[in-house]
Amino acid sequence: MANIDAFGHVTGTSIYVDDIPVMQGTLFIKVFDAPVAHGVIEALDYSEAEEMEGVVKVFSYKDIPGENQIGGIIADEPLLAEKEVHFWGQPILLVVAENEIAAEEALHKIHISIKELPVITDPKEAFLKGKFLHNSRTFESGNTENAFREARYIFEGSADSGGQEHLYLETQGAYAYPMEHGSIKIHSSTQGPTQVQRTVAKVLGIGMNKVEVDVARLGGGFGGKEDQASPWAAMTALVSWVLKKPAKCVLHRMEDMRMTGKRHPYRSDYKIGLDKDFNIIAYEATFFQNGGAAADLSPAVMERTLFHATNSYQIPHVKVQAHGCKTNLPPNTAFRGFGGPQGMFVIESAIDHAAQKLKVSRESIQARNLMENGYQFPYGQIVEGCEARTCWEELNAKYPIEGIRKDILTFNENHAFLKKGMALMPVCFGISFTNTMMNHSRALVHVYSDGTVGVSTGAVEMGQGVNTKMLQIAAQEFGLDASQIKLETTNTTRVANTSPSAASATSDLNGKALLDACSQIKARLKNMLWVKNDLEAGAEVRFEGGKVWMEGMEEPAIWIDVVLDALARRINLSAKGHYATPKIHFDKIKEKGHPFAYHVYGTALTTVTVDCIRGTYELEAVHIVHDFGTSMNRLVDLGQIEGGLVQGIGWMTMEEVAYNNKGRLLSNALSTYKIPDIYSVPKEINTHFLPTDNNNMAIYKSKAVGEPPLMYGIGAFFAIAEAIRAFNPDAPLHLPYCAPMTPEKVLMALYGE
Amino acid sequence: MQVEVSLTVNGKLYKQNVEPRMLLVQFLRDELRLTGTHIGCDTSSCGACTVLLDGKALKSCTMLAVQANGKSVKTIEGMAENGALHPLQEGFHQEHGLQCGFCTPGMIMTAADLLSHNPSPNEHEIREALEGNFCRCTGYHNIVKSVQYAANKMQAS
Ligand code: FES
Ligand code: FES
Repeated sequence: MANIDAFGHVTGTSIYVDDIPVMQGTLFIKVFDAPVAHGVIEALDYSEAEEMEGVVKVFSYKDIPGENQIGGIIADEPLLAEKEVHFWGQPILLVVAENEIAAEEALHKIHISIKELPVITDPKEAFLKGKFLHNSRTFESGNTENAFREARYIFEGSADSGGQEHLYLETQGAYAYPMEHGSIKIHSSTQGPTQVQRTVAKVLGIGMNKVEVDVARLGGGFGGKEDQASPWAAMTALVSWVLKKPAKCVLHRMEDMRMTGKRHPYRSDYKIGLDKDFNIIAYEATFFQNGGAAADLSPAVMERTLFHATNSYQIPHVKVQAHGCKTNLPPNTAFRGFGGPQGMFVIESAIDHAAQKLKVSRESIQARNLMENGYQFPYGQIVEGCEARTCWEELNAKYPIEGIRKDILTFNENHAFLKKGMALMPVCFGISFTNTMMNHSRALVHVYSDGTVGVSTGAVEMGQGVNTKMLQIAAQEFGLDASQIKLETTNTTRVANTSPSAASATSDLNGKALLDACSQIKARLKNMLWVKNDLEAGAEVRFEGGKVWMEGMEEPAIWIDVVLDALARRINLSAKGHYATPKIHFDKIKEKGHPFAYHVYGTALTTVTVDCIRGTYELEAVHIVHDFGTSMNRLVDLGQIEGGLVQGIGWMTMEEVAYNNKGRLLSNALSTYKIPDIYSVPKEINTHFLPTDNNNMAIYKSKAVGEPPLMYGIGAFFAIAEAIRAFNPDAPLHLPYCAPMTPEKVLMALYGE
Repeated sequence: MQVEVSLTVNGKLYKQNVEPRMLLVQFLRDELRLTGTHIGCDTSSCGACTVLLDGKALKSCTMLAVQANGKSVKTIEGMAENGALHPLQEGFHQEHGLQCGFCTPGMIMTAADLLSHNPSPNEHEIREALEGNFCRCTGYHNIVKSVQYAANKMQAS
């Protein structure tokens, strides 16, 4: 089934926040942000700005009626800076004017003087100086110290990965207006409506019941609008609340890039130990997470790095440690994969290191160490329903690895300045919020008296197709045509206390709650039908094709007749469904538990060609075997694979977030920050479904698909590295594991001594 | 100061006073409330704002409204005729050439220009035409297929 928003999208009628018709008297907000990365505000004068034509008021932190606090996990982030600023782009003042141009002009009339303080941009430096955002954590299993003593081969090194700008094509934004009884309504481009609601209530000092947050859809989120949509919503709410007028704030791209956090850059050290047969018997890693100036979601992101530090490999002795380092960058935040990719990049680097030194192929080490059922992850969960090897073997059957390798060798022998390389990338990704208490959801279903159905859930549609899946569920459960079902906006007055649409778990959580709601209504209808038709209680009743079939009755009833009958009997045709993921738990003291409902597996094979004169590269093909479970929407799921893969490739290759040593973002526009364009994507992407049928924790056994494919992109890094080595066999010495692998870096490695 | 512009948008003539510095994209979105034309960047890099100006694809953030004086603009809202989707619209719908949809109108308008002078483009030509349009959600493959779908359909009819 096609995306239910497709018609709106192709006709330009889908509404994003910036498209909502503004009401008369709407005020526009421009943010005045810190022009340095760290310092003490010594003087701040905005009187001139306030007097300009069209300007209504300039807000500082002093105008906040409630708390000047937006930190989600840790309360360490002000909405508007008070005495100090901690990153370049940190909001200090809000200029409010009758139109955007007046607000923009007034920005230039604000005078600030800041005494600059030392700036830290490197997490290792922050670590050495003892600057942390949150507690360090260690996951441990077995005994690495002993194991390293027994290891035949030990390799140590470091691997760093860069940040990544979300570049959701729709920038951050919100629109707020006052409502009756001292309440306020906000349209926000957020993945976390409840988070916005909570933040606004805190900033205004009012109850959450007075804050209504509504989300129609997002023009992309990717994690960037999980927590970081809240500030802009809180700003519009603040202005609207104080001035009793509608207020709007939509960031321009350069503001968005400057003021918002990104994927966390990591610096990491690893140590890997193998026995004589190249089994990995011990692995240690230390991760230095560059959290930026405030905690934001960093503690949770860091936790997932530890969860996925061993990727798909079965390693008996593991010790991985992570430090959340405080630097003077914008607070880094969720980004598809949520710390997992950063952890996986390090173990893939360690394996590559071992393979180079042992003069064997990477894939030979990978293949022999893939995990099997029964293995216990370092965090205590036992591997069940493992498809790591099945995916690998299925891929090998479809695209024989040895043959491809041979072709590459032949090609490389015959080409002096074009070299090919390949890499395999297995992925194992855990599904659930690692914070167990977030794994719950609700849905609200109304069956109206004409038989049509309205569905509200806590899921936010951001392009991932969740609303399409929700609609499929309701249609399937009631046996109705899709046209009979309407998906409502995500709204905190209809579905409350929701978890953000994140962690790839949105369809599972909300889908299961929706299933519950539909089942409740169906149960009431069944009861009625049994009684009415003198059927045995428990007789089968099927809802299908707009009809209701009953065991023991020749003719089916028509859906609408059943509905009218029920209403005549005063039966409740609305239901609120609830779901809380069973079985999961995690003990943060012991660092052991069963945090994931299930894992998703897959393997990708990436081949590239490097132009050894220019340092540029082309991705020839990526072949994927992915464990979808029983996909409930192949079109949508394939789209997620392709988009995730390309985003991962971007992170590993061309997307370079660059700050100067004063903490100023250099890659501050779409002209200086390159995301994959239509030429830089793989020429061929072949995704094969590995159908598995054993996962009852996934909605309709259709496994989560949002984040896992991003990590296939890591293969691109190692494929390029291999091609470089084919040209310059000395390259390993000059090729640090330092992503992204930009063409500049490739060129240096090609000709390094 | 305000200046008068008169231009045809989706077949309808508009005469309006605008600020001389108003961009064409702002004119379309804010004055005419044609919000299907999106803004994705400040640097004319993303293509989300693409419209047809006298039949040629143009990033409407690169032009002032006054510069479009006397010209004819077509936006995504003008693509469907008499309730029937344009083959390109159908293509993006059928081939899942979209996810969040934010880039979609720009993609369609750029492709419309391509198909108007090259009714049966090969894959390379499609990619060449769309190189100035970013999509952050898809891997572009379905976007190429969507354009091919439209080309085939238009050839057939
Ligand atoms: S808005 Fe990005 S190119 Fe016009
Ligand atoms: S569909 Fe989201 S940017 Fe293209």
